[in-house]
Amino acid sequence: MPNLVVLLFGEFKRIVEYKIAAASIVVALIWIGVLYLTEAPDITFFFPLLLFLDGTSMAILMVGVTIFFEKQEGSLRTILVTPISKTDYLLTKILITVSASVLTLVLLYIYAVIFKPVSLNFFALLGAVMLVSLFHSLVGFILSYYSKDFTSLLMNMFVYTLAFMIPTMLEHFNLLAHNLFSKLLYLAPTKAAITLLYASAGTISSGELIYALLYLVIGSALLFIYALKHFDSFAAREGGV
Amino acid sequence: MFQVKNLTYKYPRNQANTIKGLDFEIRQGEIFGLLGPSGVGKSTTQKIMVRLLTNYRGEIYYRNRDLITYDKDYYQEIGVGFEVPVHFSKLTAEENIAFFKKLYHNKADTDTLMKRLGIYDDRKKKVSEFSKGMKIRLNFVRAMLNNPVMLFLDEPTIGLDPANARILKNLIKEYREQGGTILLSTHLMNDVDELCDRVAFMVDGQIAEIDTPQNLKRKYGKSTVEVEYVKDSSLVKTAFNLETISSDNLFFELVRREKIISIHSNETTLDDIFIKVTGVESYA
Repeated sequence: MPNLVVLLFGEFKRIVEYKIAAASIVVALIWIGVLYLTEAPDITFFFPLLLFLDGTSMAILMVGVTIFFEKQEGSLRTILVTPISKTDYLLTKILITVSASVLTLVLLYIYAVIFKPVSLNFFALLGAVMLVSLFHSLVGFILSYYSKDFTSLLMNMFVYTLAFMIPTMLEHFNLLAHNLFSKLLYLAPTKAAITLLYASAGTISSGELIYALLYLVIGSALLFIYALKHFDSFAAREGGV
Repeated sequence: MFQVKNLTYKYPRNQANTIKGLDFEIRQGEIFGLLGPSGVGKSTTQKIMVRLLTNYRGEIYYRNRDLITYDKDYYQEIGVGFEVPVHFSKLTAEENIAFFKKLYHNKADTDTLMKRLGIYDDRKKKVSEFSKGMKIRLNFVRAMLNNPVMLFLDEPTIGLDPANARILKNLIKEYREQGGTILLSTHLMNDVDELCDRVAFMVDGQIAEIDTPQNLKRKYGKSTVEVEYVKDSSLVKTAFNLETISSDNLFFELVRREKIISIHSNETTLDDIFIKVTGVESYA
């Protein structure tokens, strides 16, 4: 059995045993609760927003938590001296995180289709969720590399939320509509993420769609290269006898 | 097995070298002790040898091939035993071992190992329910599960009761008898004395002494025998040179005529050598 498959099965088993999968499902149920409480007859506007919150913060947190557990228990030390490549290690966590985001999408979409009218292209949404989750799982790696413990990971996440997520949402709800601010926001990955997710509702221009796609695809590639390159120093710091 | 030549390493954020020109070899089938107080570069040396640090200067040859040319398959051949627990605590011992075992081509008979170490009956328990000693024994199973040809062990008996420490030391000796090679790092000089074929004492990133424990004891010990006896109701101590004692008539006269209380050779211990060479007291 290829080592990537072994790692994927192992990671899946661990997110179940460590209740990370359960927490992820609970969060999805909370999003369903939000949809239930939404009084708007058409939830097309809210739906991508919930996926935005899930695909960004939950993806960062999921990667961060699994690495944190491995660091805390010392299992990371022994993983680092096994015949697995660093690419396999990164891919395992990315694939599991993206799968969790897709599961959330599926649960929300099923609820929406049955109980609330929604006008979204599921497959566009699926692609968007996967790309946003991929990008942010890599952000999770970078933040974990530079976080000494779980508290410092949460602090780093807080900084990311403050710097990127909150401004993006403020602008999205037209609470901050200054022209310069709106233009500067195109530098933020969260702007690209929310743009791509709303593309499934057909409410954005093709120019914005191309911007969001390019940003997240190229950004993910660059982050992956960065995560690979800095994995060795992370391994040297966390591993060893 | 390993040839280390003029090994130097500096951590990126440090100004000074942590490892300052190490030269040593580890021969196939021997237990080589790497000793020294904390912070002298033992861990860094081992991190380099298990390929966690790669940007070193100098040369390291593993099985006559430059270590730098090995890829992840290097880990197929080595086993690393840690001092601290390194398992997924919410999985059972059996699940932990099964997961890691799948990553290797060679697979050891881990059931037998677990039986020998007394943790087989607890294999279906979660590791979080294990005592510290059980986790340490499980660490050893983890290190051995690929039938490694080279084993790195860090304080393998720390946290074990004497009976389990004995079992583990016997397993280490059996591994050597079967041709295995070990780099052992420990502060327990009794373990070093019992297990190591050769030892190196590290001080400030360099090797201060390297030899067999026996030769080091000879070098640092007093080659005398001290006899305690009673003479005229008082206790008297006399020392004899060990090398000339067989022809020393005074010694034999004394043993024949006086009431001997004790006879001690003044052979030094590895603890004393550790303190002399490194300037720091060991734990045991």
